[in-house]
Amino acid sequence: MMWRDVGVTLILSLILPVVAQGARHTPPGKPKLTSCRSPDKETFTCWWEAGSDGGRPTTYSLFYHKENSETVYECPDYHTAGANSCFFNKNETSIWVNYNITVVATNALGNNFSDPVDVDVVYIVQPHTPENVTVGVLEDEDGPFLRVSWEPPRKADTRSGWITLIYELRVKLEEAEEWEEHRAGQQKMFNIFSLHSGGVYMVQVRCKPDHGFWSEWSTASYVKVPDYIPRERSMWILIAVFSAFIFLILTWIITLNRSSVKHCLLPPVPGPKIKGFDQQLLKKGKPEEDLLVEYLEVYVNEKQELMPEGKDLRDVGCLKSKSQSDNDSGRGSCDSHTLLMEKCGGVESKDESSYEEPELLQGQAGSWERLERGDSQVVDTPDSSDARVKTWPLVFSPSIHGSSDNHHYGTLEMPKQHSTSEITYSVPDHLFPTSTSFPHHHHPEYRDSLGEYSEYRHSRSPSTGVLYHWEAQHHPQAHSNFNIRNLERQKEATGLGLPPSRSMEYVEVQKVNQENQLVLKPLSSHGRGPSQVQFGRAVVDYSKVNGVNNDNVLLLQRQREMAEAGQYCDYREKEGAEAERYPTQQQGKTTKDGPVATQLQESTCLTTSGYVDTVPTMPTF
Amino acid sequence: MMQAILVVCVCVCVCVYSVMQSVVWAVLLWPCLVSLGVPLECKDEQGSIILCASISKEKLLDRVIQHAELIYRVSEESCTLFEEMFVPFPMRSQRNQAGYTCATKAFPIPGSKSEIQQISDKWLLHSVLILVQSWIEPLVYLQTTLDRYDDAPDTLLKKTKWVSEKLLSLEQGVVVLIRKMLDDDMLTNSYYEQGVAPYALQPEVLESVLRDYTLLSCFKKDAHKMETFLKLLKCRQTDKYSCFLH
Repeated sequence: MMWRDVGVTLILSLILPVVAQGARHTPPGKPKLTSCRSPDKETFTCWWEAGSDGGRPTTYSLFYHKENSETVYECPDYHTAGANSCFFNKNETSIWVNYNITVVATNALGNNFSDPVDVDVVYIVQPHTPENVTVGVLEDEDGPFLRVSWEPPRKADTRSGWITLIYELRVKLEEAEEWEEHRAGQQKMFNIFSLHSGGVYMVQVRCKPDHGFWSEWSTASYVKVPDYIPRERSMWILIAVFSAFIFLILTWIITLNRSSVKHCLLPPVPGPKIKGFDQQLLKKGKPEEDLLVEYLEVYVNEKQELMPEGKDLRDVGCLKSKSQSDNDSGRGSCDSHTLLMEKCGGVESKDESSYEEPELLQGQAGSWERLERGDSQVVDTPDSSDARVKTWPLVFSPSIHGSSDNHHYGTLEMPKQHSTSEITYSVPDHLFPTSTSFPHHHHPEYRDSLGEYSEYRHSRSPSTGVLYHWEAQHHPQAHSNFNIRNLERQKEATGLGLPPSRSMEYVEVQKVNQENQLVLKPLSSHGRGPSQVQFGRAVVDYSKVNGVNNDNVLLLQRQREMAEAGQYCDYREKEGAEAERYPTQQQGKTTKDGPVATQLQESTCLTTSGYVDTVPTMPTF
Repeated sequence: MMQAILVVCVCVCVCVYSVMQSVVWAVLLWPCLVSLGVPLECKDEQGSIILCASISKEKLLDRVIQHAELIYRVSEESCTLFEEMFVPFPMRSQRNQAGYTCATKAFPIPGSKSEIQQISDKWLLHSVLILVQSWIEPLVYLQTTLDRYDDAPDTLLKKTKWVSEKLLSLEQGVVVLIRKMLDDDMLTNSYYEQGVAPYALQPEVLESVLRDYTLLSCFKKDAHKMETFLKLLKCRQTDKYSCFLH
């Protein structure tokens, strides 16, 4: 017995695995309906996928029932659409009704039902791809374009209106990555513009019913666009033209701003600058227009034994032309009575002015020439009119004091007061006709010169500020009266067309020093005490004597104090009426000097400084 | 300064262009405008001249078809909107593959193309009319229920409103079409009376949401029916034989 039990156990242990293996076959797994599709809204197909088959051959069957009936039908066609599919033909397809479909998997051990699915054919329409897709290149006036045409899928009945399809196409260059999609609506043709010349395009079309799924894309159609733009060459041409244009513009801009560019790159080296110093002017010398030659014309009576030598004034004195850079006064270097001394030889003077510039010498020469010209101009006039000659006799005579010499002399109106003059004028010898006879016995005559001044007249000419040294042959102690008649001369001068502006200045003859220098003091010198001449109420100006020209014309310098001169002038005009008394007083004063017929005549005072007072007519002896 | 001048020129050009365009359109459409509203002389089938102030059958049919297409599209959008907003996911109809069973109509509607092709024009038109008339009231009802929703999107409300209005005009068009094509005036009201009965609700649908959803989907389906019928009708008007060949 025990042996039988063991045998049964052994057999059972052997059989059981075999039996167990047989028991691993299970009913099939659950199938699943994957999709149902209708290409034409008239038929449709459903596909399922099988679950595990359970080890046994399984069969699948599809059952359905329509929406409002309970009758269950089985799939009529399992083969047309392939494996695991069910095809519903036209007769079995109803639209607008829901199908409830179930798939059943059956094997020897059992069956399994899938989940039911509701399907309405209308909503599962997915047509086939469009057919006969053709792409052609057509020409237009704007260039070539693509014309894509196609036909609907064969099965879809669009003609009767059963299905309405809308189309879509996509285009791209062969080497491009992204497609360009276009909706074509219900039309079966489409144009594509703006092509790349020489490119190869790919075109695909698909369609969809108004209530379904998109079809698959059709197979790609290739088309080559002919070259209608030589793109590369034209691009290079465009680049070249553009760069040339830019280059031209830059060149033009730089040319316009040449100076500023140069200034930017190479900044100019600043030159030396001295304040208040006009280099241009110095270089040029005196421009003719600016210089005012104011000179004093001193006429010596030709009847006298004047110095025939005609020493050139250059030798005698020096002409100093003042730099016209003195814009303050506009007068010229009237202010520097020291100027005269400084530059000219043999004359001592305090130099208070700043005319050290060598250009002055240069200017001197120039102005000297001008002065000559001016002098000649003025000098001519006396030739033309005797009156002039008459009115302008100026005799510097030591015989003022009543020497026996029969000479004319210039009389000076002596101011009563004088300030210490530091100016010594050296009067050239030829100015004094009786130079030879001057000598020393005239000394005492010139000694006392109080308020003596020389009147002279300036006639303006381009060169101004001409200082003259004139050397007085007088005894230093002698004083002389100088009278310069100005009145008629002035009138005639204006009539003669001389420069209208006249200025008159007075020079006070202080004394005659031992070097035969006439010490004159400009009346209007500033800082030298009151330069007002007290002739009653008359105001007298002084001016420096610059020199004497060839024609024995005393050339005086215009005073630097234009304003004062102007004031004096104005004042003078006012007091013109009283001027007539002047000479008498003068004459009275100069009794020592002998009869000096000085008749101060009316003088129109010039607004500018340096005026020449009226010269009383010289009495002719 | 130059830029201002350029802008002014551009504006002027645009204005002139638009004016010209409108003028051109007016000129081109003038005959159409004239023909539309003004009583013209036209000949009816007997050849007698009668005064007519209407469009032709073809144009009317085209217009009706356009109406139907638009209605279908809007109803489809409304259904999708509603589904996304209110219908829980498991109950969705899986991409319009099926809707809930809709109420059956008073008369059978053909369900296949072959059946439909066998229907006469008259029946087609009448079917359309019945369908249209049967949905007028339910759509009005749907509008009221949708207003009760708290968070119904505005677009949904607008669409349903629009659809109900368009449906009325579609009905008018179909009536005119029936009159024109069939010379039949007597049947306009009969079917409508039958469709007055309120929409029968499915007994298992209890929740208002599902009920409304069913309403929308069924309407969508019926809109598609209308559209299809009309298109088939159109084909028959142009080329009768080719329509049946398929």
